Amino acid sequence: MKKHAISVAVACAIFGAAAPVYAQTGQSGFNPNISAVINVGYTDRSDFEGIGNLPIDEEHAGGPDEGFWVDHTELALSAAFDDMFYGKVTTVLAEHDDETEVELEEAFVQTMGMPYGLSVRGGRFLSNIGYLNSKHMHTDSFVDRPLVYRAFVGSHYYDDGVRLNWVAPTDTYIELGVEGFKGGQFPAAADSSIGATNLYAKFGGDIGDSQSWQAGLAWLSTEHVFGECGTHDHGHDDEHDHEDHDEHEEDHHDEEHHDEDHHEFEFGACDFDGDKDFYIADFVWKWAPGGNYKYQSLTLQGEYFYVDEDGWYGHEHEGEYEQELRHDDSNSGWYVSGVYRWSPNWSAGVRYSEIDPADVYSEGYKPKATDLMLDWNYSHFATVRVQYTRDESMEDLEDDIFSIQFVGTLGAHGAHLY
Amino acid sequence: MVRISTKTKAGLLAGLICVLSPQAMALNIFACEPEWAALAGELAPEAEIYSATTAYQDPHMVQARPSLIAKLRRADMFVCSGAELEIGWLPALQMKANNRDVRDNQPGAFYAALQVERLDVMQSVTRLMGDVHGMGNPHVHLDPRRMLVIAEALAKRMSEIDPALAEHYQQNLKAFAARWRQSTSDWEAMTKPLQGKQVVAYHTSYRYLFDWLSIEQVADLEPKPGLPPTSSHLAGLLNQIKGQPILGVVYSNYQDPKAAEWLSEKTGFPVIPLAYTVGADGTEDLFALYQRIIEQLLHAVESA
Repeated sequence: MKKHAISVAVACAIFGAAAPVYAQTGQSGFNPNISAVINVGYTDRSDFEGIGNLPIDEEHAGGPDEGFWVDHTELALSAAFDDMFYGKVTTVLAEHDDETEVELEEAFVQTMGMPYGLSVRGGRFLSNIGYLNSKHMHTDSFVDRPLVYRAFVGSHYYDDGVRLNWVAPTDTYIELGVEGFKGGQFPAAADSSIGATNLYAKFGGDIGDSQSWQAGLAWLSTEHVFGECGTHDHGHDDEHDHEDHDEHEEDHHDEEHHDEDHHEFEFGACDFDGDKDFYIADFVWKWAPGGNYKYQSLTLQGEYFYVDEDGWYGHEHEGEYEQELRHDDSNSGWYVSGVYRWSPNWSAGVRYSEIDPADVYSEGYKPKATDLMLDWNYSHFATVRVQYTRDESMEDLEDDIFSIQFVGTLGAHGAHLY
Repeated sequence: MVRISTKTKAGLLAGLICVLSPQAMALNIFACEPEWAALAGELAPEAEIYSATTAYQDPHMVQARPSLIAKLRRADMFVCSGAELEIGWLPALQMKANNRDVRDNQPGAFYAALQVERLDVMQSVTRLMGDVHGMGNPHVHLDPRRMLVIAEALAKRMSEIDPALAEHYQQNLKAFAARWRQSTSDWEAMTKPLQGKQVVAYHTSYRYLFDWLSIEQVADLEPKPGLPPTSSHLAGLLNQIKGQPILGVVYSNYQDPKAAEWLSEKTGFPVIPLAYTVGADGTEDLFALYQRIIEQLLHAVESA
């Protein structure tokens, strides 16, 4: 008893003297935080031919490449600059036409010290449209993004711009935000200083200890101007080698000109001049017994896109673009997925996505894809995934796609977004 | 101006608190785990306190869900373990909540484990070791000596954030510390029979408890920290502990009992389902939690 009393006193003295001030964080590690994501795999499939003839960004719409791939392996650095500013840079490897390119996916600064629940982010970042868009693909439960994401936003929409958002001081989670972008990335192709805007709202809450949910609405408005296209879409049947982007662009114009003789329109993303408005609704619901995610959980999610296109299709003639076909129509698409984890090591999921393109593209054909996946997590940091996809993204295509993927994270332990 | 003694001031303040609605003045506190909600409640009973997790949830594996963002948005401070326990979710909440008061290095960011000396601090960490915390074991709340240090630091921090009630927090600390010291010596007297006992446990959740009570954890159901028990690891354990004087196989409320039950069945050592934090087995505060844990351990000794 006495001994214990003394030890208490000694402990208090030692610990008390050693008790630091609050200049500390809950994490150890370096400044900046460095994390690398290894995302590699092998896929057996037939060639990607497009998605219902929609105007897509071919290089970000096709899903995994045939054979071995290292797509979306990424390297990220992040840290606070000071009390006010936090910054992050993310580069990813992207494979296009058997060439490996490094893409700058994020390079942004975000405020940490604004009052009233406000925050500003500026630079290059992933837009807050939908549920999946703002997340890095390696955190997804499937090898590739849902068909509707691949078709409408090139798997993810990121761009250079600024965001202002506000979190309401309410018990129910309410976040309202506005984003303005240059419009230099698919699906936008603008020549003005603000070529894309997004207004969004997110809501969420709990239902007891075991369930939580989030819902979101977004309105993304994009400008499209002939000759401003930064994407790699050139219609659906041109094959070409290129040495770099600039030459590529030129090749492309020549080719399109040439192609014109036998195709009236290919509806390439770069052949459109006008506005596109994306109306997106998303919902996610998660369940774990008692809210304990260690052993068992279920995630259901779904998103719906309605895309209103208003403008002209045209072609380039001797350096000048000509408006040739008036286009005022809409596309829509959606996906739902469910992922069930039944042990710390295993989870499985199913996903279905379907698109209803405007008649001018696919004459009533609805592209669709069905996926089944199985995940094995040896630890919290490494996942081996197998996925089967029934791909019916073109009218004359019924492809069985098999993929095996490894995703592992090195370095700083990233926090998991909901 | 009339000089008013501190005591009178405190009295006036206390009176004011009674007159005004308590919420109008109370701190809004976001606790990552129930033990910190309970401790905050001892020091600031009038505060609006929310615990992000329950005793039945693994604090390593929490979703950074919308409701938590909304709670943190309105908090004046958070009280969390730190030392990387919440590394998978708290930074995401801080980033999303847009609340400058609860950014790291602000007074509103209170990490309990960083107020005390931690056990098992690693000089270098590789993932080959499993999901270990380089800053040491963060499960500090089951050592009453450390809890007292943390309580002192927390009362001080509350006073900095809410200077109007500084005296009030100090008085609550004093009352709590007196009760806690008394209970600590009672518990130490009660737990003499536990000294030197050997247990197998799931994870290092009870590292500080065992250190305090001089109990030795001779094996872990996890092959490596954070990795779930595997059959080959359990088979190895079986050989290791067979014939040893093991008190029992300890696991906590948020852990799957299957591995412990399997080992118990094979060895005949009892399972000891131990409360881990406040709220487990109906415990309402830290005193009840410690009492419950000690009863469960003593029960194992008596039945042995």
